[in-house]
Amino acid sequence: MTLSEGEKKYILDSVNDDCRIDGRQRNNYRLMQVETDVIDHANGSARLRIGETEVLVCVKAELETPKPETPDRGAIQFFIDCSANASPQFAGRGGNELASDIQSCLDRAFSSPSVLDYTALCVERGHFSWTLFVDILILQCGGNLYDAVSLGVKAALYNTVIAKVAVKFLADNKPEVEVSSDPSKGFKLDVTNVPCFMTFLRIGNHCVLDPSLEEESCGQGSLVVGITVQGIVTHVRKVGPGSFHPTSMEDALNTANAIGPLIHMQLLSKLKEETADKRGFLR
Amino acid sequence: MARTEAFFDTGLRADGRDPSQLRKISCKVGAFKQADGSAYIEQGKTKILATVYGPQEIRGGKSKVLHDRALINCQFSMAVFCTSERRNRPRGDRKTMELNSMLQQTYEAAIRVELFPRSQIDIFVEVLQADGGVASAAINAATLALIDAGVPMKDYVCACSAAMVDDFPFLDLSHLEEIVVGSMVTFACLPRSKQIVLSEMSGRLHLDYLDKVMDAALKGCEDVFHIMDSIVRSQVAHMAAAMG
Amino acid sequence: MLKTKVFFKKTKRGSVLKVVREHYLRNDIYCGSSGCRHCQENENFKPVLMPDSISKSDLVPLPHYIIPDTNVVLHQISILESPVIHNVIILSTVLQEVRNKSPPAYKRLRDLLANENKRFYIFVNEHHFETYVEQEPGEEDNDRNDRAIRRACFWYQEHLTSVPGKRKRDPNITIVLLTDDRDNREAAIRDGIKAYSTSEYVESLKGHPELQDLVAKIGTCIFIDNKKSVFPDHLPASVVHDGIKQKKYLQGAFQASRENYLEGFVNIEGMEKPVLIQGLSHLNRAVHDDIVAVELLPQNQWSAPSGIVLEEKVDDQGDAVEENEVGEPKDHLSEAQPTGKVVGIIKRKWRHYCGILQPSIIKDRNMHLFIPAERRIPKIRIETRQAETLSKQRIVVAIDSWPRNSRYPLGHFVRALGEVGDKATENEVLLLEHDIPHSHFSEAVLACLPKLPWAIREEDIEKREDLRHLVICSVDPPGCTDIDDALHCRELTNGNLEVGVHIADVTHFIRPGTAIDQEAAARGTTVYLVDNRIDMVPELLSSNLCSLRGNEERFAFSVIWEVNKKAEILSTHFCKSIICSKAALTYEHAQLKIDDSRLNDEVTCSLRRLNSLAKILKKQRMDKGALILASPEIRFEVDSETHDPIDVEVKQLRETNSMVEEFMLLANISVAKKILEDFPECAVLRRHPPPPNANFDPLIKAAKSRGFTIRIDSGKGLADSLDAAVVPDNPYFNTMLRIVATRCMMQAVYFSTGTVQEEDFYHYGLAAPIYTHFTSPIRRYADILVHRLLAASIGSDSTYSHLLDKHTVQHLCNNLNYRHRMALYAGRASAQLHTRLFFKDRIEQQEGYVLFVRKNALVILIPKYGLEGNLFLNRDCEGGTSVQFQFNEEEPSQTCGKVTFRLFDKVIVQISINASNVQHQKMVLKLVHPTVPGFSVPSQDLSKGDVSVSSSEEMAKKRKKKS
Repeated sequence: MTLSEGEKKYILDSVNDDCRIDGRQRNNYRLMQVETDVIDHANGSARLRIGETEVLVCVKAELETPKPETPDRGAIQFFIDCSANASPQFAGRGGNELASDIQSCLDRAFSSPSVLDYTALCVERGHFSWTLFVDILILQCGGNLYDAVSLGVKAALYNTVIAKVAVKFLADNKPEVEVSSDPSKGFKLDVTNVPCFMTFLRIGNHCVLDPSLEEESCGQGSLVVGITVQGIVTHVRKVGPGSFHPTSMEDALNTANAIGPLIHMQLLSKLKEETADKRGFLR
Repeated sequence: MARTEAFFDTGLRADGRDPSQLRKISCKVGAFKQADGSAYIEQGKTKILATVYGPQEIRGGKSKVLHDRALINCQFSMAVFCTSERRNRPRGDRKTMELNSMLQQTYEAAIRVELFPRSQIDIFVEVLQADGGVASAAINAATLALIDAGVPMKDYVCACSAAMVDDFPFLDLSHLEEIVVGSMVTFACLPRSKQIVLSEMSGRLHLDYLDKVMDAALKGCEDVFHIMDSIVRSQVAHMAAAMG
Repeated sequence: MLKTKVFFKKTKRGSVLKVVREHYLRNDIYCGSSGCRHCQENENFKPVLMPDSISKSDLVPLPHYIIPDTNVVLHQISILESPVIHNVIILSTVLQEVRNKSPPAYKRLRDLLANENKRFYIFVNEHHFETYVEQEPGEEDNDRNDRAIRRACFWYQEHLTSVPGKRKRDPNITIVLLTDDRDNREAAIRDGIKAYSTSEYVESLKGHPELQDLVAKIGTCIFIDNKKSVFPDHLPASVVHDGIKQKKYLQGAFQASRENYLEGFVNIEGMEKPVLIQGLSHLNRAVHDDIVAVELLPQNQWSAPSGIVLEEKVDDQGDAVEENEVGEPKDHLSEAQPTGKVVGIIKRKWRHYCGILQPSIIKDRNMHLFIPAERRIPKIRIETRQAETLSKQRIVVAIDSWPRNSRYPLGHFVRALGEVGDKATENEVLLLEHDIPHSHFSEAVLACLPKLPWAIREEDIEKREDLRHLVICSVDPPGCTDIDDALHCRELTNGNLEVGVHIADVTHFIRPGTAIDQEAAARGTTVYLVDNRIDMVPELLSSNLCSLRGNEERFAFSVIWEVNKKAEILSTHFCKSIICSKAALTYEHAQLKIDDSRLNDEVTCSLRRLNSLAKILKKQRMDKGALILASPEIRFEVDSETHDPIDVEVKQLRETNSMVEEFMLLANISVAKKILEDFPECAVLRRHPPPPNANFDPLIKAAKSRGFTIRIDSGKGLADSLDAAVVPDNPYFNTMLRIVATRCMMQAVYFSTGTVQEEDFYHYGLAAPIYTHFTSPIRRYADILVHRLLAASIGSDSTYSHLLDKHTVQHLCNNLNYRHRMALYAGRASAQLHTRLFFKDRIEQQEGYVLFVRKNALVILIPKYGLEGNLFLNRDCEGGTSVQFQFNEEEPSQTCGKVTFRLFDKVIVQISINASNVQHQKMVLKLVHPTVPGFSVPSQDLSKGDVSVSSSEEMAKKRKKKS
């Protein structure tokens, strides 16, 4: 999105005054909406909206042979598709760069063993473990994609049910799995420690949270902070052009520590409040 | 014989439908704000999202400019999670390329492209969940998105799939049925002028059955038309009321 | 309304998928009851159920409809088939379960549903908005289905008795749930539904005590009071399943021994030798053909087949069994083979069995033993109140269960076939035992036939090539009424010859998917018995409209070649045609015409041209390595009034037989090429796999005994070495060698080309790269499929989806292969039956040859009758003296004193019938020459010889009378 100088100035001033163009304060998020179970074929799915940003996240669990270096663990893999629906700019290969940026951020955030109990995903040591394929489809870009994606991922993992399987050993010690067809016997993941991202966008001398598309276009650098429900910072990454002063970085981390848990709680309470009346995209 | 009997032994199809019954169609026109037009459609468990941008300036090279009409640019994607078994990529494989060109040809025939020379109309279709009849649902979704965008068309484009099962034409097949039947046709037509803008066939079908299956499919298209038309009208009425 | 079903599923490739399916519920599914006040106003409502005015049951005084649960349909279908039972509601839950669990029961159920008089109605409860029940989390499928059935019963009860718009109830009709599951019954009764077990209900029916015999005894242990178990437990299915995957247990089809009831084998895929099972407790209730799981015994307990004949004592009346009821101890451990015990049954292959009743010696007892005709089936304990009447009859019995504390399986009487020894009865037994569908064609099938008088219409002529002007004739065995092929050959102006093979156009009359088509597909083939023919299609077609009779206009499917004088094919043309055969000849008649140089009519000239071409074709085929195999085929001359056989002879083969055969082969090969080209994925072909080398051992041994070497490296080598094996002083030697060679061969089978690797298409016997059957559509269903494919590929008929689906086609082929095999066995059994009838009151002396040397017998071939029989050695002779033969397995030979029997030795034997066993009358051979003191019987002197002489004179007279 291209803005005129006047518009940019207006946004800059509004941030300075702590009253952003849509009326929010610098640390305020836009309205978050989440709905799970929107894709029946998937083990877990969630459609998450923050303002005009909208993502669809699906989790499919596939049985695979665990990597030799981690024989007793499952794995998680991310794939992001920036759909042309979100913007004609994404048509063809247009969205690939953005997608790989977000993907590497997610990979980093989930590489810590404390994020998910990967051993719970192991079915039979050295033979079978679940790999969670987390596929993210960007449907609308209204700014702050990182945060929306991470929240969507957490919601979809929360919603995930994995089939109950048992392992039998055949002759020559070859294992084989048996699957229980009943979904009610499947197991769910513990997503307590799954972090979410908080993006701080520097506009002038201040950082704003959850920037809109307009704000993003006059930002001077953003900082993506991974944060858990306990307020623990899991990682920090500066993305895009621009620079940060160490003090503003410190401020940002402090803010993340204070607000991060609230965002997590907000998401969880929305997930728990979800009603059985699911209409998905027809809503 | 055993297999057909197996899914037709009560006189109803496996999911409880009549041979000529369509699956439940639900749709929402104007699902997204950013695009010029958008629509979301569910036909049974097949879920498809379509957005339309334009008519607008030609993007990229000027070489693509057509002097007498608009350029129709389609992108057909199937989300990697849309099928039971995860796909490797959302587009670029044979199936999506095929559907892509099908979509393109269909709309080149149905949109009044001559009204917008030197411009471009983008139609993006995203399959969120595939459970049979992907091609026809994609066309129906794109039609609604084009209507939402206000792009002038000759008529609605309505599509429906059909197949012969013994002597019964089955309409709007689910994925399970698509696997079982040997061959399937997909027709798209302009219901008022009864023009066929797409006819697509998979497998081998004997010529003798073509008429029968085509009649059924066209009847299906007409049903689709009535459903879509009433939804569009009610949503427009709703909007008009909201605007006062 | 719309519901969604969600479940996980493992695919063949091992990945786990989540499957989601839609499930639509409807409000336009009607109850089917006539006079229903709720449904009758709907225009689509067709009443099927019509309540009787009074109930026959003592338990249910009101007129009622019956709703059976799945197990009742699966196990008590004979009750449902009884004419007493009608007004039955089949729920779609039940229909689905039956379809998944038992295809035969499903077919019988479909037949019942098609029969209007039975008033069976399908209620699609699974899609009815008021009767659909959703599976609760954690609920087992079975429990959910039982709940669905009870829900439907409840709905019916409410629906039928409530009066619309009023609160009043109309108690004129009620619903009865039949279920043999006690829990289900109790749950139903709690819901206010009338529920009974099958036997409770059947016993309550007034005036039908005979029905009680038909009730299957499931899970009942009536004989057993405090007796300890006879058999070890069967392992639960899951343990067996895992055990097989872990290779702890082996899976295979159990084959009971014909000779020894305490022995059996299990053929395991991938194992060279079958696993031997010995002793009652190791056999552990496995019944012939069951798919079982076996556990191998440690190698030091391995054993060898006892090689002795052991029949169950006939007078065994108790269920007590000696713990150590095992075969004789075996002395030759050198021949030990893998031995095991049955630990579980994977799939029962129980069917209906024919046999006779052995009434209990205790008067007024209702429990009796049934002795099956098939020796490999154990005796069956049944309950009947009609023992007196049944004891002289052949009856049919089904096995219901085999509890571990019962010596014999438990079953129930199904029906009586007729008097023992009566030929019609014995024929029926033969058909049943070979699983040959032979009931009358149903109304639905007959309704597919064209209406008479049938005439060729103008539009038929337009679509076909008119070949009525050609001089076409047919050549068949005498008495043939289903003529499916005819031939012609004429000279063309360019000097080449035009040869046509015209095959009856059966597919014109049998359209895909119709009742007649399904029936023909199920039958697969026409079955020829000595005095009877079981048609695949109704007689109107087989012997009239399709049969290419002389001087009648018929539809044909023609293959026309242009060939040069060297019999090289220049072009091939296929077309649907109309022909008019100028003559329907027999082989003999045709031969006479060819040989009679005075004749020069067109038919004869055509035959001569065909004959000379056929000779070239045959030579070409032989040069390629086609085999000439021999199997003695016999023909009975049957008395026209009594239908008893009066003479037996070996079928004679004439040049004309070979002539017709050559052109049929040529047509089949041409058609095979054409359909494979157009339908590479789903063409129906016939392949004949080359036999594994080990199969040839008996042949090589046999030839070696006379100093010949048989080459088995290729078909050509085999054919050549067979040709070379000629002994001047024994003209029959070569034929016998070919008989032995025939037995080394594999079965030729039909298959769908999409399911088999291309290199395996080969037909070994004919040395043809591809082959199919096209020429006998009246009597073989495979040919019908081939006709349809060919018709589609020349554009004269349409395809349909099943024809193009390789799996459906393969499925059909599997059935055809099975039917053909059974038809072959039935034909042989029929010949044996007639042999027995022929020799019933006759003793004859005949020349024979030793065809095989077995451990305790010589297999003797009697060329005159084409008969084969066992000459048992080392048996107790009538005099009580026992003569010992020495068996030399290597050579092989049997020696007693100075006399040694080797392969192909000429002997003279006496033929008679041993009728001591009512069920198994056997042909008995006794040695006459060479003389073995104490063993052979004296040659019949003249006075004794009268028996056969007079009878053959009689025969001669009869024959004269006939002509």
